[in-house]
Amino acid sequence: MSDTSHNEPRYDVLWPIPRRAVEDRACAPRLPDLNGKVIGELWDVIFRGEMIYPQVREHVRAKFPGAKFVEYSEFGNFYGPKGEAIAATLADKLKAHKVDAVIVGIGA
Amino acid sequence: MLRAAAQIEKMGIPTVSLIGNAFMRQADVVSRGLGLPLAYAEYPGAPMVDGVEELSTKVRNTLAPGVIKGLTQGRDTPSTASVETEPAAGSIVMSGTLDEIQEYFYRKLWTDGMPIIPPTRERVDAFLKFTDRDPGEVLRVVPQEGREVSILSIAITGCMSGCRPEYMPLLIAVIEAMCDPEFHIEHCGSTPGWEPLVIVSGPIIKQLDFNYGQGVMRVGRQANTTVGRFVRMFLRNVCGYRIPPGAGDKGSISFTFNVALAEDEDTARDIGWPTYGMDQGFKPEDSVVTVRSVVAITPPTYSAGDEAIDHVQQFADVMGATFTYWSHTGMKRGFWHPLIVVGPSIARVIAREWSKEKVRNYLFNKVKVTAGQITHYAQMTSTPTFSLPRLVAEGTLPKSYHESDDPDRLVHVFIDEAMTGILVAGDPGRNQSRGYMGNHDQGAPTSRKVMLPKHWQTLLTSRG
Repeated sequence: MSDTSHNEPRYDVLWPIPRRAVEDRACAPRLPDLNGKVIGELWDVIFRGEMIYPQVREHVRAKFPGAKFVEYSEFGNFYGPKGEAIAATLADKLKAHKVDAVIVGIGA
Repeated sequence: MLRAAAQIEKMGIPTVSLIGNAFMRQADVVSRGLGLPLAYAEYPGAPMVDGVEELSTKVRNTLAPGVIKGLTQGRDTPSTASVETEPAAGSIVMSGTLDEIQEYFYRKLWTDGMPIIPPTRERVDAFLKFTDRDPGEVLRVVPQEGREVSILSIAITGCMSGCRPEYMPLLIAVIEAMCDPEFHIEHCGSTPGWEPLVIVSGPIIKQLDFNYGQGVMRVGRQANTTVGRFVRMFLRNVCGYRIPPGAGDKGSISFTFNVALAEDEDTARDIGWPTYGMDQGFKPEDSVVTVRSVVAITPPTYSAGDEAIDHVQQFADVMGATFTYWSHTGMKRGFWHPLIVVGPSIARVIAREWSKEKVRNYLFNKVKVTAGQITHYAQMTSTPTFSLPRLVAEGTLPKSYHESDDPDRLVHVFIDEAMTGILVAGDPGRNQSRGYMGNHDQGAPTSRKVMLPKHWQTLLTSRG
């Protein structure tokens, strides 16, 4: 602390935000063509996904007739009471279904 | 949701996340905190208020094309998150007069909107004297921004919030409790706008001069007030939960910080009830903090009479009415946690006849709602597919929630009587109690013992 000519104290203050400890990385490579690809669905069982997912499926199939879907019921609710257990088995399930891409929802 | 997407991206599998467009700025904060430029597909507006036709149009015209773009090309919209280089932890960020500092911190979104105490090196060092731990020790990396919670960051935040340096051991315990995975600090910005409540137990109540009597939940006593403010400041500055013009906090309406709640342990001991701290598994001589969410507060619940039932019946009627509506969120997860703050004069009457367990058991059995009504509440909130039979079949709820398909059957509002917290506080000269409702498993009660530094008494005495 030091005084100005007006005798008003000045303060040297610390940065109040702690260090960001995340390493930035790129996302997984995209898939230019979804034909022949397996698309998994993860749903947190809220915000009308029971209506939204089927329509998304239909739209994707219209553009990419060869796209296949593994529906959300195969994976369970990752946001429910068993979310941690479901997250723990996710890698194995995605591998077992040979999933190439995933739609995750719904945040609103 | 984005955390699940990040987990999958790290497996080398591309994802796209379905998000309402009002959540994009929060999504950017979370995405940056995860270190990944996640792809989103945008739903325009709020899906819960759109008609079937409107919803289909929005999916067809906006959301579904966004899904394809997200999976084939990547991020749908560029990140709006700041990428400026940040100073080193503990470095001097500016020098200025009190007014200049207030203005600078406010514009940087580093305050809660009220003036802060400037975190000078000297002031922060005064806090660090009240712990034996290294200032650089990291407790955890926390959402939303992926920042380190260090002992130093706790001291700075405590200083800014107007805490006294001697609160430091308690502040550390509060943050340790909030960093417990059971607390789910990653959901502190959810739309219900819940707020943590710090409950203080043990000798530290009197050592730090917490109010536990008349006006206990009002601002005014420094310990109660600034510890409550500290929690909100921590959530803003360390975690990144900020309302506009910031981002990260999506509380829709929300309410502001709770002052810390301390128990009238003298009365609890006098009437033969275990203290709240003892209920959490600690010894009476332990100083303890428990942090839990509060999403709703009941009306002031007045009760009269010289028998236990006179009062507990009133708890069931008045508090039960407040708790009932939102209990569907707990039913979805098989967990929620009410807290009953019993006025000392009322506790004396009840304790002459009933234990805390009997109070819990009475409330559990007495407060009920019809299956049809609670299903309706859940469907209105976020979950059109809410189904008590399904929750029972999945093992989330006990069988009693589906003994028939009659929508008029009654089901328990309190899922498990053991989840109900009870403590004594408030005005001993009046007959008022209150209930505080937790937000299902978000902000589940987590407790930590307050670990005092070696020379606590000497340090405390030196502070006068």
